[in-house]
Amino acid sequence: MKNLKKYFKIWLLMSKNSFLAVFNQRMALSIFLIGKILRFFFFFVFIIFLLKGTKSLAGYNLNQTLLFFFTFNLVDTISQFLFREVYRFRPLIVSGGFDLVLSKPVNALFRSLMGGADVIDLITIIPLTIATFYIASLLNPSILHTTFYILLVLNGLIIASAFHIFVLGLGIVTLEIDRTIMIYRDLFNLGRFPIDIYKEPLRGIITFLIPIGVMVSFPAKAIMGLMTPMGILWSIVFGILTLFLSLKFWNFALKKYTSASS
Amino acid sequence: MKKYLQIFKLSFQQEFAYRLNFVMWRVRNILQIILLFFLWSSVFKDPQTEVFGYNQEKILTYVFGILILRAIVFSARAVDVAGEISNGDITNFLLKPVSYFKYWATRDIASKVLNLSFSVFEITVLFLILKPSLFLQTNPVALFAVLISLTMAVILFFCLLFITNMSAFWMPENGWAAQFLFIAIITDFLSGGVFPLDILPLAFQKVLYSTPFPYLLFFPLQVYLGKIAGLEIIRGLATAFTWVFILFMTVKFIWAKGLRRYSAEGR
Repeated sequence: MKNLKKYFKIWLLMSKNSFLAVFNQRMALSIFLIGKILRFFFFFVFIIFLLKGTKSLAGYNLNQTLLFFFTFNLVDTISQFLFREVYRFRPLIVSGGFDLVLSKPVNALFRSLMGGADVIDLITIIPLTIATFYIASLLNPSILHTTFYILLVLNGLIIASAFHIFVLGLGIVTLEIDRTIMIYRDLFNLGRFPIDIYKEPLRGIITFLIPIGVMVSFPAKAIMGLMTPMGILWSIVFGILTLFLSLKFWNFALKKYTSASS
Repeated sequence: MKKYLQIFKLSFQQEFAYRLNFVMWRVRNILQIILLFFLWSSVFKDPQTEVFGYNQEKILTYVFGILILRAIVFSARAVDVAGEISNGDITNFLLKPVSYFKYWATRDIASKVLNLSFSVFEITVLFLILKPSLFLQTNPVALFAVLISLTMAVILFFCLLFITNMSAFWMPENGWAAQFLFIAIITDFLSGGVFPLDILPLAFQKVLYSTPFPYLLFFPLQVYLGKIAGLEIIRGLATAFTWVFILFMTVKFIWAKGLRRYSAEGR
């Protein structure tokens, strides 16, 4: 518990520093914020007009399709907010600056994963959460289904953490971060719409191999009452297993760190 | 002319020097197309369905067409101009007997040739895997109009990209942010790169048609699909040409103003 408090304090301190650095470049902050909001708005408008014309998408009505889209954005924005530091990891490895991270009395993974929260995403998280719960409420879910939804969103975030840890580990082994994270983001974008639109074998791949379906589509399905308790349990076990494997990989990668250039 | 041919060759080789970068860029394009393909396949599951004036054949042609047109119109190296302005590298070019615009136009053409050849290969592979039924335009007049509109689209995008990049003369640290907003978000969506613009209400489409964006991807594709014909084509081409003229003059104006503001920082 004491350790948890200590790490929370460190996270607050690192986030504050990161926010101050971003606030120093207010123009860039505003442009990126407008860009993110516009992208969200364009997709939102697209879904509205698409469903107006077609009435349903893969069997889902407008509100259901919107919930898939909002859940995708919620998981994406929270993980971007928490794990932005991963994008800045490569220079540390290439320059050997990672030595300084390793020598500090703070867990190196924690520092590399969560060392620079993104203020742009923080600004959008609150309105996005409210909007997501509003859209969800239009589907009249039961308390049980809402609980399943929250559980599976948290599970989605656990899998997102695992992905980012895996990317960090891969960064140490191969010195490659930027492209891996971009590919991850592009694959993740496939979850913007219900995974039911994809045909096999792609649907199987993005459900089980690259578990985008588990991360963003399953929570939305759970609140609609389309997931069995066994399916939910399986998803959570899958999430924990993914995190466990990513931590194993991180430990393996750490042993490969050669402290080059330092 | 010889020196630009040399720039073309060097630029082509440079693209191959960063092979992984290039391959990843192509993979990203393919993933985007896969998303659109399955999205629209799901909407048009029944081949008899007709929504927004499209049937299954035409909408899938739109999706595949986007992959080709993106390679022709959106592939560009001029994205690096903002960086050159902010770190002072542009000074080197100002001292050389080379036209800065022609230099980047040549590099853009090299990038387009490479991207186009890859996109043709990708389309062939995707076609063999997904086996979609595609619409083939056979009317030579329509095909000629597509060619003209594509030429104008390339010039339009070059101007838009240059204008955005030249913002670095005034805000050297935010050139990349400006590109993210104006090129990656606004231009991509409003050109029809993410979804066909005719699913939007008519009033909104009319407003969009008076901007340069639809003439980048949407208009050439509509002409190819035969959804725009006769006088409408001529009107569209005339508007696109007007925008080419306006944006070209804007580029020249901003360039002159920007150079006066430029102080060779970092040099």
